Amino acid sequence: MAGVGFRRWAQALCRGNGSGISALVSGCRAASGVSKGSLPGPYPTTPEEKAAAAKKYNMTVEDYEPYPNKGEGYGDYPNLPERSQHERDPWYQWDHPDLRRNWGEPIHWDFDMYIRNRVDTSPSPVSWSSMCKQLFGFIGFMLFMFYLGEKFPSYQPVAAKQYPYNDLYLEKGGDPEKEPEEVKHYEI
Amino acid sequence: MGAHLARRYITETDTEPDPARKYEFDPQLGFDERKEREMVANQEQMNLAQLPLEQRDYCAHHLLKLMKCKRDNWPNFLACKHERHDWDYCEHQDYVMRMKEYERERRLQLRKKRIEAQAEAA
Repeated sequence: MAGVGFRRWAQALCRGNGSGISALVSGCRAASGVSKGSLPGPYPTTPEEKAAAAKKYNMTVEDYEPYPNKGEGYGDYPNLPERSQHERDPWYQWDHPDLRRNWGEPIHWDFDMYIRNRVDTSPSPVSWSSMCKQLFGFIGFMLFMFYLGEKFPSYQPVAAKQYPYNDLYLEKGGDPEKEPEEVKHYEI
Repeated sequence: MGAHLARRYITETDTEPDPARKYEFDPQLGFDERKEREMVANQEQMNLAQLPLEQRDYCAHHLLKLMKCKRDNWPNFLACKHERHDWDYCEHQDYVMRMKEYERERRLQLRKKRIEAQAEAA
């Protein structure tokens, strides 16, 4: 009973230009929201559907390519190349310079990942194999040299330092009851 | 500077002394009589001064004098030059003794090798 009354009240509100909560609750939308024709739709099968989808996304028919229809839920959303915004021309006068995007340009599915603060797909100055070789070559060389240093340590040509009181037997935690082995040191 | 390393690893690998191993020759070999090293500071004094183990060597009495001098003369940090020199000189002599011990061990090893070679040749 109360639900019905609430719905009537919401519908009355809707007659005014309400969007947001009242739109969701009552099921009518404001003019400021997205129109039905511009939302993504099902996967296009015929060439006409493809052309319509391309027009919807502001792309030419040659450029438009939907995601393969594997039931993943992409629908007719365009499959744009996986390039981050770092790769776009930094000197061109974009409409949104921070996003390096012009108004009306189709937005990538992972656009929030490809902004300039996040994932960067720009090519590295040196090829991947070259980078790997340099890094692991250096690390391998250093490890090899450390190994050699362990095997053939460098030291001064002096004997071990001599300590009194049987090589500091008690100071090093030796048992005071037991007799330590006698260690004598001589002058030379 | 690195001659001993070249000897140890390349030319005389069997006779050059290994710092990790104990020296095998009798300390009295080659000497008529050898004077024992004298330890001046006793264990109680070193314990009271809380000396770290590395500093409880045969020069500890000089170090204890130096520490007392520094404590008495603070904040004049330039005051204990004489005591510091005494301690440094004692440590220097200790280091020279270590060098001589190493050289003695090396020569004894070479001598041992010569004797064995002679015995084989004979």
